[in-house]
Amino acid sequence: MMSSEDEASARLDRHALVLAVWLPAGFAAFGLLHYGFGPGGAWWVAAGFIAILAGFAAHVIVNAALGTNFTARETGLGLVLYAVGMIALVLAVLRGDGFAARFFLPVAGGMITLLLAVVFYLLTRLGTRAAFDKFDIIRDNNPRRASRLTQRGRHR
Amino acid sequence: MTLFLVMALALLASLGVYLAALVARAAPAPATFGDAGAALPGWAVSFAAAAVVVAGMGLGDHLALTLRYGLQASHTALGLILAALTALLLQKRLWLAARIAGLSSPGEALGHYYQSATLRIVMLTLALLFGLPFAANLLSQLGGLLAAATGGAVPRATAIWVTAFFLFLPAVVGGWRATVLVLAVQAVLVAVLLPGLAGIAQAMLPRPGFPGVPLQVAAGNLADQIPGVIQFSAGIGKGIAQGGIFTGVGIASAALALIGIVLSPGFLYLGMTARAGRSTGFAPVWLISALLTGVLLIAGPMLAARMGQGPTALAAQLSAIEPFAGVALLLLLILTAQMAVAFFTTSGAILISREIILPFVLPGLSPVKARLTTRITLAIAFALVASLAAFAPLASAVFGSLAIPLAVQMLPAFLGLAYLRWISRSAVLVGLIFGVLMVLFTEPLGLILFEGLFLDLPWGRWPLTVHSAAWGLVGNVGAVLLVAVFTRSGAERAQRDRLHDEFAASWPVDFGGKTAQSAKWSLTLIWAFFAVGPGAILGNSFFSQPVFTTGDAALGVPSLWVWQLFYWLIGVPLVSWLAYGAQLGTTSDQGLRRVVLDDPARKAAPGWIAAGVARISARQGGGR
Repeated sequence: MMSSEDEASARLDRHALVLAVWLPAGFAAFGLLHYGFGPGGAWWVAAGFIAILAGFAAHVIVNAALGTNFTARETGLGLVLYAVGMIALVLAVLRGDGFAARFFLPVAGGMITLLLAVVFYLLTRLGTRAAFDKFDIIRDNNPRRASRLTQRGRHR
Repeated sequence: MTLFLVMALALLASLGVYLAALVARAAPAPATFGDAGAALPGWAVSFAAAAVVVAGMGLGDHLALTLRYGLQASHTALGLILAALTALLLQKRLWLAARIAGLSSPGEALGHYYQSATLRIVMLTLALLFGLPFAANLLSQLGGLLAAATGGAVPRATAIWVTAFFLFLPAVVGGWRATVLVLAVQAVLVAVLLPGLAGIAQAMLPRPGFPGVPLQVAAGNLADQIPGVIQFSAGIGKGIAQGGIFTGVGIASAALALIGIVLSPGFLYLGMTARAGRSTGFAPVWLISALLTGVLLIAGPMLAARMGQGPTALAAQLSAIEPFAGVALLLLLILTAQMAVAFFTTSGAILISREIILPFVLPGLSPVKARLTTRITLAIAFALVASLAAFAPLASAVFGSLAIPLAVQMLPAFLGLAYLRWISRSAVLVGLIFGVLMVLFTEPLGLILFEGLFLDLPWGRWPLTVHSAAWGLVGNVGAVLLVAVFTRSGAERAQRDRLHDEFAASWPVDFGGKTAQSAKWSLTLIWAFFAVGPGAILGNSFFSQPVFTTGDAALGVPSLWVWQLFYWLIGVPLVSWLAYGAQLGTTSDQGLRRVVLDDPARKAAPGWIAAGVARISARQGGGR
């Protein structure tokens, strides 16, 4: 049984490892995307997304090695960054200054690949049903007592 | 570029302080400030160890030497495999000795095992050498690089003091654990930046680089060949070695010198404060031998080839194409220097505090006051390092050059502690005297002093193209063997036997049967002879002019480079075999039995120190 100090210590060690993963991945992704959206072109943008994917894969490996899962803060930050990315893509396309012609395919492809990677992770980690339950908030809006019964699936 | 660079450095500094604050909140027990409760996570120890090795060898210096001497200098990176082998052989036994005999530092381990206060003092002197002049020399170079890269916008002195302050903050807030965690996080960044930058430079810059074009070395040096097995040169400053200084024995001795990094007090302390697990094997096998050596052998010449005008010129070239690439190059060089400064200064200050100040100067302090004392020691250490770097860069370089070759001289002592019980205290001490003298007289400090005071010596630095570490080790090992013959059952033999009996009973090293044992040692020696020894000379033409045919092979790359990569690829499984085959790479805290070693030194302040402290305390009390 771990003491609260040991638990805090283990959480900190994991947090530092996650930072160690995302620091180079983030730096590389930022640099590659910056060059890609400038003189580099589509392939460098794709390389930037590969760096992000590599960071995600390393994060999953960290979770597997330490027997942990994504924390609520990590999930929240990931969703916010993804949403910001999507909004930025839509705005850039709407602005219509040739961005769509040059970068729509690599950026949209990268965003879709990231989404698929997350879905793939959830399916392999939790299974189809549990992965769906993660997002099944409608059922949680008005829970009935019967939904807690074992024969209803014991999801709660 | 300046703005991006300063922003990146500020971000990394903030990250360090953030992690240190988290450590301080998560582990508030003051007793764990200096040793992290001897429970550092394995991944952090592994990455920090690799970072210390690359930072200790000086990445900037390695690239500059490769540019100047070509592949012969780059060849010394293979010596990291020797360093990994040494770490592997010693770390587990030292870790075990720490756990079963309750020893908290390498100096204490040697002091108790050999019943020698002198060896403790030697280790502390080494900690001081690494922690002050060695670190100050790197900090001084860092300041110069930062000033050059920003075109003087950040003056050298400002860069030194600000960097020292921001390296001091994580150490003083979070102690040893924060220092190691920050180091580990930065090490991963360096591990990505080094190969990534070599690739980016090849892809972005217009003109072809190495291996497409040969290295533009200094006049008189061979770009892609080893200049002979040995050269009878008087040494640097007194004679010129034709073709370069990295001959076969030059490479072998420079490779031996790299062992000094893993024998530094800080590195050994890092291993002793690790949690039980697989980090003892993971760092030497995968991070140092596989990743670091490979990256230095492949990416090192590629980067060095483009640094003809210096690193800042290359950074400016890259920056003109993509600002982040230029910043990344400077960040790589600055980070490696920063890591060495942070690690050696923090570990040195902590060791001084734990081994001198707390037991002898201020004995009996409560954990809270002991932590405060360590923090004050850290503050003084960082202030001294910054002062040395800013005001005495030459002295720092001269004294700092002694740290690694002197650390190598501790090899017989640690081998004795780990395996060879017949090595006695007298043998170690006599060996050290010979080793230290030989190092001093083949390094600038001894030469300058002796020639200034007495007469000119006929040799210079590293005579016969042999590194001072190897000169010292030859004298050292010779004396150890000779003296050990007569003193193998010396007065402290019972003490030595107590530890080795426990090792043999509970923690035997599984080198396998007779055949396996012979294979392990003979293959290692054969590998060392051909990879970093005199046999490496064959690599000059082995792949370009094969012996089994009269024609030349058109490789498109230098034969020596292929030779280096070939022996790197053989070296990694060799280290892995020792780590996992002989169980040297794993530690466990199950079934540890306590062994009591006598304390050689009474833990009380010497009279004159006690009287001095009492007088000051009395005055302070009177003032209140």
